[in-house]
Amino acid sequence: MTAVLEVSNIKKSFGGIKAVDGVSFDVQEGEILGLIGPNGCGKSTLFNCILGQLAPTDGEVKVDGRVVTALRPSELNRLGVSRTFQLLQVFPKLSVRENLILAGQEHQGNMMSRLLGPSDAGLSAAADQMIGFFKLDHLATEAAGGLSYGQQKLLDAAMAFMGGPRLVLLDEPAGGVNLTMLGDLKERLAAINREKRATFVVIEHNMEFVMSLCTRVMVMAEGRVLAMGTPSEVRADPAVIEAYLGH
Amino acid sequence: MTATGKYLRIAFAIVVIAALIIVPMNFNRYGLYILSQWAVMTIAAMGLNLTLGYAGQVSLAQGAFVGIGAYAAAIMTTQGGMPLIAALGVAIVLCFAIGWILGYPALRVQHHYLAFVTLAFSTLAFLVFRNEDWLTKGIYGISNIPRPNVLGFATNRPLPFYYFCLGSLGIVSLAMWWLIRSPWGRAFVALRENPVRALSLGIDTRRYTLMAFAMGSALGGVAGTLYAPLTQYIDPVPFNLSLSLDLLMMVIVGGSGFFFGPFLGAAIAVLLPEWLRFTQGYYLMIYAVAVIMLLIYSPTGILGILDRYLTERRTKAASALRAVAKSRLETAP
Repeated sequence: MTAVLEVSNIKKSFGGIKAVDGVSFDVQEGEILGLIGPNGCGKSTLFNCILGQLAPTDGEVKVDGRVVTALRPSELNRLGVSRTFQLLQVFPKLSVRENLILAGQEHQGNMMSRLLGPSDAGLSAAADQMIGFFKLDHLATEAAGGLSYGQQKLLDAAMAFMGGPRLVLLDEPAGGVNLTMLGDLKERLAAINREKRATFVVIEHNMEFVMSLCTRVMVMAEGRVLAMGTPSEVRADPAVIEAYLGH
Repeated sequence: MTATGKYLRIAFAIVVIAALIIVPMNFNRYGLYILSQWAVMTIAAMGLNLTLGYAGQVSLAQGAFVGIGAYAAAIMTTQGGMPLIAALGVAIVLCFAIGWILGYPALRVQHHYLAFVTLAFSTLAFLVFRNEDWLTKGIYGISNIPRPNVLGFATNRPLPFYYFCLGSLGIVSLAMWWLIRSPWGRAFVALRENPVRALSLGIDTRRYTLMAFAMGSALGGVAGTLYAPLTQYIDPVPFNLSLSLDLLMMVIVGGSGFFFGPFLGAAIAVLLPEWLRFTQGYYLMIYAVAVIMLLIYSPTGILGILDRYLTERRTKAASALRAVAKSRLETAP
């Protein structure tokens, strides 16, 4: 197995606050790593450092063995690293299909071909396939802003996969999604992981979701790694129970 | 969009275009001048609509780009004796380059801060037009700007020149339509709606921001190269800040981010003063009140009202369909 993502000793301080304080871990190809921990423990900051949205104070991130710490998010995305956000981040005025085409278009051709080539950048079929895969068929031409919260979450996740990413970082994909849709989402993620060999890192508070989806779980507390292991190992770890899961 | 709706739209477009060609045939010189001005201002407003309406970058400098285009045309065709098409090329390249550079502050600041930066540029351009006598003849202006020969036809008379402006507007509109529907257009909208998410989807927001500024500014330059031979005399005054504000108002009143917004906005800004002429001194007051009322009622401009109405109707139709489908399901054996 090869490591898709190698994070070594990432630190990020805001003034005197050490949000992330020396976190290191690897993610192997095809793995689904869960990232859990109490609110404010640095999970989202860690994501933002990995993805180039924040410049880490110290440390290094490698994707497929290549140092990416200084890259901008758009460059990182074109290397095959994609993400979803904790809060909804779809483009409300564009239709569902347009959102998906937008999500994939920068991976097609170059600036010139995107100006002079077809309007859909050759992605209509791929977008429709994604729409079918996430069961959004009846909504394809609706403006994304008119969808329910759960549907927008599905769209948000679908958008992260349009570029055919190797590595996807999902920030609370299950937050605010109802139970039926949650089952759908989990099944879809597992299917993409299986079929496309896509590697995931998932921040989530829904323990049922994390424990059933993830192959490994990393627990963070106060900016540091508290524990790392299989879901059952982590669940049995006294330190984790004390800091996060509760008795 | 239903098939009937599509045909209705095409029919409507044909009627409007035919009217724009046929009706002005028996207009007097002044009427044609006003209509030509509308076509020219529409082009400038379309440029600003790209920068502001689609890409979401506030600019108070569009009038300055019209000025740069106009001076390029005036200087090159009078002193240089060159054809207007050469001036057009120079204006496009010049405005594109300056617009690109003016886009850099937009990578750092947004909204009203950006407005101030572009406002400063607008003032700077005005000072250059007024003070650099050796180039622009300063406050004396440049007169006797010739009108071009287009494909062997002289456009000295008002009607041919109007057709020249209308044709240019047609070409610019087609190019803009293509741009807006292309992936670039989608990326511009993404820039406006959510730059952080756009970045995470691989969209090079930096390049698209600069591109939006440069292309919008270039269209200001195109409008300027038509403006100079239209008035045949230019001085710095028409290109002061108030033109930039006028263009901004055209975009917002018409409907910022709507393709046809600038057409409507420019029509109102250019034609309404003529229609309200009978009110004499009260014209500006009536105009101001009308604009304020419009923006209170519909912050998204006139086309925003239409868009709201159509969306509402579509939503109603869709929910009616869903209700029918649901009742069928329930009554099914």
